[in-house]
Amino acid sequence: MVSREVEKLLLKVQKPGRYVGGELNEVIKDKKDVDIRFAFCFPDTYEVGMSHLGMKILYSLFNSRDYIWCERVFAPWIDMEELMIKNDIPLYALESGDPLSDFDFIGFTLQYELSYTNMLNMLKLGKVPVRSADRHGLKNIVVAGGPCACNPEPITDFVDLFFIGEGEEVDLEVIDLLRKCRAEGRSKQEFLELCARIEGVYVPSLYETEYNPDGTIKSFVPKGGAPAVIRKRLMKKMDESFYPDNFVVPLVEIVHDRAVQEIFRGCIRGCRFCQAGFIYRPVREKSPETINAQCRALCENTGYDEVSLSSLSSSDYSRIVPLLEQLTSWCRDEKVSISLPSLRVDGFTDEIMDRIKTVRKSGLTFAPEAGSQRMRDVINKNVKHEELMQTCATAFAGGWSTVKLYFMIGLPTETMDDVAAIAELGQAVVDTYYKTPDRAKGKSVRVTVSASSFVPKPFTPFQWEPQDTIPELHKKQEHIKDSITTKKIQFNYHDADTSFLEAVFARGDRKLNSVMALACERGFHFDGWNDCFSLEKWLSLFEECGIDPAFYANRRRSFDEILPWDHIDYGVTKSFLKSECEKAYQNTTTPNCREKCSGCGAARYGEGVCFEKRQDMVR
Amino acid sequence: MKNVRIWFVKDHECRYISHLDLNRTMLRALHKSKLPIWHTEGFNPHPFATFPLPLSLGFRGTNECMDVKLEDDDFSFEEIISRLNACLPRGIRVFDVTEAVMKAGKVAFASFTIKLSGDKLPSGAICKSVKELLGAERIELEKKSKKGVRTVDIKPGIKSCKITERFDFAQLDVVLSAGSSDNVNPNLLITALQKLTGAEYEADITRNDLFDAQMRPFR
Repeated sequence: MVSREVEKLLLKVQKPGRYVGGELNEVIKDKKDVDIRFAFCFPDTYEVGMSHLGMKILYSLFNSRDYIWCERVFAPWIDMEELMIKNDIPLYALESGDPLSDFDFIGFTLQYELSYTNMLNMLKLGKVPVRSADRHGLKNIVVAGGPCACNPEPITDFVDLFFIGEGEEVDLEVIDLLRKCRAEGRSKQEFLELCARIEGVYVPSLYETEYNPDGTIKSFVPKGGAPAVIRKRLMKKMDESFYPDNFVVPLVEIVHDRAVQEIFRGCIRGCRFCQAGFIYRPVREKSPETINAQCRALCENTGYDEVSLSSLSSSDYSRIVPLLEQLTSWCRDEKVSISLPSLRVDGFTDEIMDRIKTVRKSGLTFAPEAGSQRMRDVINKNVKHEELMQTCATAFAGGWSTVKLYFMIGLPTETMDDVAAIAELGQAVVDTYYKTPDRAKGKSVRVTVSASSFVPKPFTPFQWEPQDTIPELHKKQEHIKDSITTKKIQFNYHDADTSFLEAVFARGDRKLNSVMALACERGFHFDGWNDCFSLEKWLSLFEECGIDPAFYANRRRSFDEILPWDHIDYGVTKSFLKSECEKAYQNTTTPNCREKCSGCGAARYGEGVCFEKRQDMVR
Repeated sequence: MKNVRIWFVKDHECRYISHLDLNRTMLRALHKSKLPIWHTEGFNPHPFATFPLPLSLGFRGTNECMDVKLEDDDFSFEEIISRLNACLPRGIRVFDVTEAVMKAGKVAFASFTIKLSGDKLPSGAICKSVKELLGAERIELEKKSKKGVRTVDIKPGIKSCKITERFDFAQLDVVLSAGSSDNVNPNLLITALQKLTGAEYEADITRNDLFDAQMRPFR
């Protein structure tokens, strides 16, 4: 629903279709009939936010309750933002057109650190006081979840409570608690203290931090009956867990414009740089029957002719072949294609290839992550050179001639030889193409090598590691460029400046709140977009606040330092992370969860891969 | 196999989507409706639909059409209408299905209703400016194309224009040449008016009907 005032602006901005709502399957309720109005905010553009699966799940789940109306809010792009400010139009939700300040809950999903400024900017545009302390009463409760909630310390002044872990249950518990507290006439403080007793809820205002003279944390103390450690929530039985049979179908093209079907959560691999590989443990799969039925319902209700099977590593799904068999049995007749992203190098078999090829052929992407075998062992990628070559040969023989390879630079213990090995690996893939006898005739091979900069993240074995400085990263980028000798390899790299800022926020503490507040005041937004990001401006903010960003990005922490996120518990023990870090220094790998249990701690949830029959148990 | 022409309104939220997005939305609705629409062949089969005359982003359309091929004659036109409407966003409503009487290339004219207003401009003044613009011998505009900037005269493309003074806007009911060769977009008319007066206008534009070269309604 769009107001007359907004309509006046729409023809003056790019892609106005993202500001109007009115899509197929959008949920419209009468606000008089609901107790709770929830604004689900994605701190990025419509096209990015509408592609996000978590939002689709929670939108449907919340709206399945008759007393809740959940609506969507996205960050307006800079042209629209400017016009909204000029014409004094507050940020509004797409369904009702009502301003953000009308909502009981304002919920953000935090998918990447560089969207923090967008979150604050959206509150500001919605005329909602940015700081928690300035919002009173049981209204405009700002909540946040998503992977960045695992270390929310840099934004604790602004968010009333964080959801730790998976939201399907805990979000509703908090919503119901608000309803109850309102009926009982309780204060916001009382509400927050009661929230803190719910497992998976972190109320940052109920904790106090003290610092050592060197800036590290001295103590972190709960008050008002809040728990000392906040444990994550997770869905134990994926087959019984809520999944939407319907998506809002956008009117304008979005980033991932297709049906998305989740097949499992977690990852068996434990790559040491990967936060998702640790915080979503243990692996919990849906059954092929559930997936098949859910896929079919989604396609019928949306009209999408493409389904993407989503997980952290699709080929690790234990029943991938039976699943593809079930799916292809109807997909061909219904002209629906299946895409299988996140394939591992060692998971691309002839059988999988045949199944996905029957419907549509797209480019192939693999992520060896590091060039040399030693480096891959350090990060526990567990992919062998021969496996990659074998996989590429399979793909080339199957008619593909374009391969994308993703790598990281700046990994712990990396040398210039390891960096050069990235170019060598690209070359080896080119050579493999010309050695494959049944490759596509008359076609040249195209290998894209992409290198991003490593950002150490909380809850990984590398959480203590320094990030390479920007000049070091530039040197490594140049070195790859110089090591590539063929035009058949195209080399891309990510901007090191944004990775640096990401590293600062990822492992930041509460002292960064002052920088965030100033950034919001100065109108910072869209830091994840090159159009808006300026490291220079950020550096001057840090200086103004008397904060050294290198303290967060480039400093090696000792194993016994109190980390800003130590009070949050994702099920994987700190001692396990430490032992993984030590193994990395010795170039030693750790077997995946299906091969052998390494005792990370996630078995305490009593579900998932930890209780599957493993190869070592059968023998 | 039967060629049918599907007639619809494009308004409200859907007014703000481009032709490309409309195309995508229609293909998804056709797919969801499970109507026996002929699909393209090849690697990526999709329902085949063509639009006799695309509508610009921002315009309302009261009598828009899309051509598809039906593989099965058993479907009544009423059934097609109700099935499609169940699969479309509320801003697009199918109201009729006919046989494709004229070929798509026959479109030569289109009629529009333009509601023009401007900040603090009385509607009488706007009407006067429009009359002045239309009274000129030539209405020249610079048009950017791939080959560079060239000057075009849109006057010959304005077949008729009725000007009505309303309370807070000026209403223009115009017939402009349309189609692949001499298309005149009503936005050009507004640009020309802005050039003439230096004022900024707000235009609410609705496309009403399409016609062939003899001004017979396009069917």
